[in-house]
Amino acid sequence: MVFSSLLFLFAFLPLTIALYYLVPHNKWRNWVLFVVSLLFYGWGEPVYILVMLASIAAAYGFGFLVAKYRETNVRRARIWMTVSLCTNLSALLFFKYANFFIANLRLIPLLSEKLAPIEGLTLPIGISFYTFQIMSYTIDLYRGQTDVQRNFIAFGTYVTLFPQLIAGPIVRYRDVDDQLTGRRETLDLFASGARRFILGLAKKILLGDAASRVYEYAKASAEFNATALGAWMVMIFYTLHIYYDFAGYSDMAIGLGRMFGFRFLENFDYPYISKSITEFWRRWHMSLSTWFKEYVYIPLGGNRVGRLKQYRNIAVVWFLTGFWHGANWNYILWGAYFGIILMIEKGFLYKKLEKLPTVVGHLYALFLIGFGWIIFSHTDIAAGWRCFLALFGVGTNGFSSPVIRYEFLHALPLLLIACIGATPYPKRIWDRLGEHDWISCGSITPYGEERPITEDGLVLSTRGKVVAVLTTVGCVLCFVLCVAYLVDSTFSPFLYFIF
Amino acid sequence: MKKTINLLTAVCFLLLVFAFTLAFWILPDTAFSEEENRSLAQFPEFSFTSLADGTFSSEMTDYFADQFPARDFLVGIKALSETALGRGENNGVLRGEDGQLAVRKFRVYESLLHQTADMDYYYRDNVALSLDALNAYTASETRPLVTLLPPRSVDVAASAFTYPGEISDELHSQIAETISPETGYIDLLPLMRERYDAGDYVYFRTDHHWTPVGAYLAYREIMKGFGLEGEILPVEDFTVEEIPGFRGTTWSKAGYKFVSPDTIRYLSPGNEDDFETTCLSVKMVKDENGRPQMVKEVYKSFSGWLNRDYFSAKDKYAAFLDGTHNEQLVTKKTTDTDRERLLIMKDSFANTLVPYLAEHFDLVIGNLTGGTANASELAEEYGCTRVLVVYNWENLITAASLAAIK
Repeated sequence: MVFSSLLFLFAFLPLTIALYYLVPHNKWRNWVLFVVSLLFYGWGEPVYILVMLASIAAAYGFGFLVAKYRETNVRRARIWMTVSLCTNLSALLFFKYANFFIANLRLIPLLSEKLAPIEGLTLPIGISFYTFQIMSYTIDLYRGQTDVQRNFIAFGTYVTLFPQLIAGPIVRYRDVDDQLTGRRETLDLFASGARRFILGLAKKILLGDAASRVYEYAKASAEFNATALGAWMVMIFYTLHIYYDFAGYSDMAIGLGRMFGFRFLENFDYPYISKSITEFWRRWHMSLSTWFKEYVYIPLGGNRVGRLKQYRNIAVVWFLTGFWHGANWNYILWGAYFGIILMIEKGFLYKKLEKLPTVVGHLYALFLIGFGWIIFSHTDIAAGWRCFLALFGVGTNGFSSPVIRYEFLHALPLLLIACIGATPYPKRIWDRLGEHDWISCGSITPYGEERPITEDGLVLSTRGKVVAVLTTVGCVLCFVLCVAYLVDSTFSPFLYFIF
Repeated sequence: MKKTINLLTAVCFLLLVFAFTLAFWILPDTAFSEEENRSLAQFPEFSFTSLADGTFSSEMTDYFADQFPARDFLVGIKALSETALGRGENNGVLRGEDGQLAVRKFRVYESLLHQTADMDYYYRDNVALSLDALNAYTASETRPLVTLLPPRSVDVAASAFTYPGEISDELHSQIAETISPETGYIDLLPLMRERYDAGDYVYFRTDHHWTPVGAYLAYREIMKGFGLEGEILPVEDFTVEEIPGFRGTTWSKAGYKFVSPDTIRYLSPGNEDDFETTCLSVKMVKDENGRPQMVKEVYKSFSGWLNRDYFSAKDKYAAFLDGTHNEQLVTKKTTDTDRERLLIMKDSFANTLVPYLAEHFDLVIGNLTGGTANASELAEEYGCTRVLVVYNWENLITAASLAAIK
């Protein structure tokens, strides 16, 4: 199931909220979350619940052994950790990468007849995400950064928690271990969760999907009539699409988490305002970058080794990052692309960029990010290369065509809104309008009256009240609008007259 | 204060979610959507097998989508929001001057297996395939023949939109270059455009078909093509019957609820009762020796060529020839049993030609898009002396039916 579906919003979510708040105790609330999360996960392909449960059971069981030996016999603890990690990774390797390896091995003449792709192997949803979450538990445990979780349901809830199950953020175990058993749901947290969820829904549906339609159009049109403008549209609208889609999904996950008392870390921090690629990767999909930094880069020695080894470490991390995104050569290329840029930035460029006017850094970063998305969005590397060349008018039929221009002009309002929305300014301005006038209690008004004391110790000026009410009204409107778009996408007139 | 605001937010959110949910489960299910012209999904039957293989969940998703409360209203909201964003189109439908709608983007097929996103371009090879088949068929056909390829609204009503006409031009010239003179091809685009620009009501605003007026213009061209100019019935011979409130397929697809409906101005010759239309279904049965044999059964028959029930329903265009039938149809004049027979190989654009053509010929109608493609056989069987092919541009781009004609 996905969040941006009618079934989720109007069957799964109300059911979950009702059940969750009707059962009294935290312990039972975890049961509720665990069961509904399995339902959420298994909705499309129930069989893969078993794969996930097996992974959970393995990490849970081996966790006891790792914890038992970590004080007394580090070697043994290390062995059990390795066993646990290998069990988890083997599921990921098999389901996600087996056919990729087979397909590539078949290119070797002698092997092509002996090997056959495994039929019917589809990727279990979210396996890349939950495998990494499970691994963070085992590693944190080995390092003594967290305690063993004895409660299977609590551990199961951590892994299967539906808000972050299928598209992240990748929550590290030690960031939520106390929340699993000792969280408190409050009205404030619920309300801020609801606002965040609607914001994410709007990002995904109103901007992400809209940008995706323009991107799909431009990409499909390029097959018929390649133009430079069309290629720029592919790049720009994919850049916007993937940000709003993914950041929107993270917002929804964070918001849903809050509705059930969880506080997840942020996953995106306005990545497109970066002035370098180094900065971009500190702002984009932060939970993944942190994971690789924490569990791969630093264990390899991180920055505290010689230059050459540092470069090796970057290479390893970026090969893995690329490959993690998909079992295809273009993702590996995409990872390598960023790895090389990051090495260059580490070498000298980052320092140079800092001295230049910021606009140079912005342009530099945006172009490189955009080129990256071209690699990422074309699983056919040759087609990606053609699209890249078309940006500069190579292999095109001129700069643009009338229909492409028409489409571009009509997508301009969307482009404008989406670009502004990718910066921190709208939020900053809105916050300033609203928060500016919170005044602590007991203060004196300009007319000499004492302000009344309220329960939370704050009073709000009229402007602050208006902004707060407008925020709620805006959320309601956004939500209805999102539902309208969802309904419209399922609206499919059957034009039988044509036949 | 902060508490109050947060309470307000939380209550609003829960109200919205639970209100839609309750409305969904309480409101009765609908069986058929007039707006979309299709049956809606019903609550799926539950079984553990259907749950395990995922069919239950996908059926449930369909059920939810189809039975969602205030569906039409929400579709309208989305169209308004797109308008506010300056898109000028919604769901691939352009909105032009005077509420003229036209489907702009089509889902085109590269092959039967592969379909691309909705877009402006079309595969030239697919069109060439259809036209080559038509050329091949006409080369062996000795009867007088006329071919009409009616353009789409977006081609005819080009002046109502700012949308560029390059694709129309490309398709127009490809047809002109490819089609052989033996097909008796009549190029309708300049004529229809000229009359549209002059303010004539030749194509519907909210439907993708031509109007009875547009069809009358085409009828005149057909008669000229057959060399029967002298027999053309003047438009004054027909009485106009107005059927208001026609919201066509383009209107449904677009979701622009504020666009006013069309009026069908049916041109009636006044002698419909002298005619009878029969639908014949073809069945394969086994004879006593176990060999398959073709048997024709009368499946439906009605007086004239209209099913007036449709004039009071949403699908008003379906009144002509009782909508689309995959079966063969025969329209005969009952008072005169010895008339010349015309074979029409067609799509739905031909349905509005019937009232005019039936005055001159008995009509044998094979539906190309319904899988009837063997024109020579039909002409032989019914003793037809002339053949008319009607197949619109949209089908030329998106379907492969014409490619099977022989």
